[in-house]
Amino acid sequence: MNGPARAANAATFTVNPQIATVGDFFALLKPRVMSLVIFTGLAGIFVAPGNIDPILAFTALLSIAVGAGASGALNMAYEADIDVRMTRTAARPIPMRKIAAGDALGFGWTLAAGSVAVMGLFVNLPAAGLLAFSIAFYVGVYTLWLKRRTAQNIVIGGLAGALPPAIGWASVTGNITLAPLVLVLIIFLWTPVHFWALSLYRSDDYARAGVPMLPVVKGKPATRRQIFYYALAVAAAGLLPGAMGFAGPLYTAVAAFFGGLLIWDSFAVLRETDVVREPNAHRLFIVSILYLFVLFASLIAERVLGVAPLGHATFGAWM
Amino acid sequence: MNGEDDEDKREYERARRRRNIALALSLGALVVLFFVLTLVRLKGHVIDFGQ
Repeated sequence: MNGPARAANAATFTVNPQIATVGDFFALLKPRVMSLVIFTGLAGIFVAPGNIDPILAFTALLSIAVGAGASGALNMAYEADIDVRMTRTAARPIPMRKIAAGDALGFGWTLAAGSVAVMGLFVNLPAAGLLAFSIAFYVGVYTLWLKRRTAQNIVIGGLAGALPPAIGWASVTGNITLAPLVLVLIIFLWTPVHFWALSLYRSDDYARAGVPMLPVVKGKPATRRQIFYYALAVAAAGLLPGAMGFAGPLYTAVAAFFGGLLIWDSFAVLRETDVVREPNAHRLFIVSILYLFVLFASLIAERVLGVAPLGHATFGAWM
Repeated sequence: MNGEDDEDKREYERARRRRNIALALSLGALVVLFFVLTLVRLKGHVIDFGQ
């Protein structure tokens, strides 16, 4: 189904004069995803060299958060026909017919335009451009194009969710260098580990909805191998900020320990014997969230505590 | 049946009122934010200009 047809299809999810609460509209923003986006965006602001007025930093973070929320609302509007068929998503406001898909589209596009405009007018244009790109990529490339067509949907589409540290960085410096791109790379490589772990124990859900997730298309053994390879890659990428000299010993120790944990749990998924309940995939899903959280928390903590980066000599080159 | 309809209508109106209040608070917060942001930007670009 092409984009407009899908939008028309989504628009059939109309409601009777139902009771849509403030909470239902908030749920459209995918608050849990938004919290991780805010956190990684905040790390980008903290790590970037230079100073930014606290009010402008708050505004940049607010724009990133609202932009991410808008992406979530638009995603739910365009994917209402999938969500209604999946146990994990059937309780969302549109499948529950609390909010009409058309209302969610209006809500999402308004927030998207508003967040980019505020970022551009009050922070800077490069950050606004990156924010607009991430929203367009998530909605246009991931949701409307790749999601229903390829098992690589979350790999390529993951770029949108990986960009917040670069947006945060650009809001401070007005440009992008190699350092924020390394942070983007970490999240980009982390995304398949996280979502394929989920898809292992939700594969029936995805198959029912006709979404070509990797376990549905290539089978679970291939998915386990891919998860393991990506875990190795993300654990290695996680060490780059220290190796390149823009993160300190606290970050590097945390990245090494939790990178090892991520590989260990991915190996457990690779050797899984309970292919029905997938307990190791459940565990890896949780550990992957923890991994990303502690990595970026330690980056922020180093800046707050004034811990010096490991490589003073090379530090300037990446900034 | 009428009792249920009345209760649904009251619940609907309560939800609508809460949505309106949330919208009003959001708009008010935006006005305050834009005002403060304007001051911050002016401070950086205009107020210091004459010094």
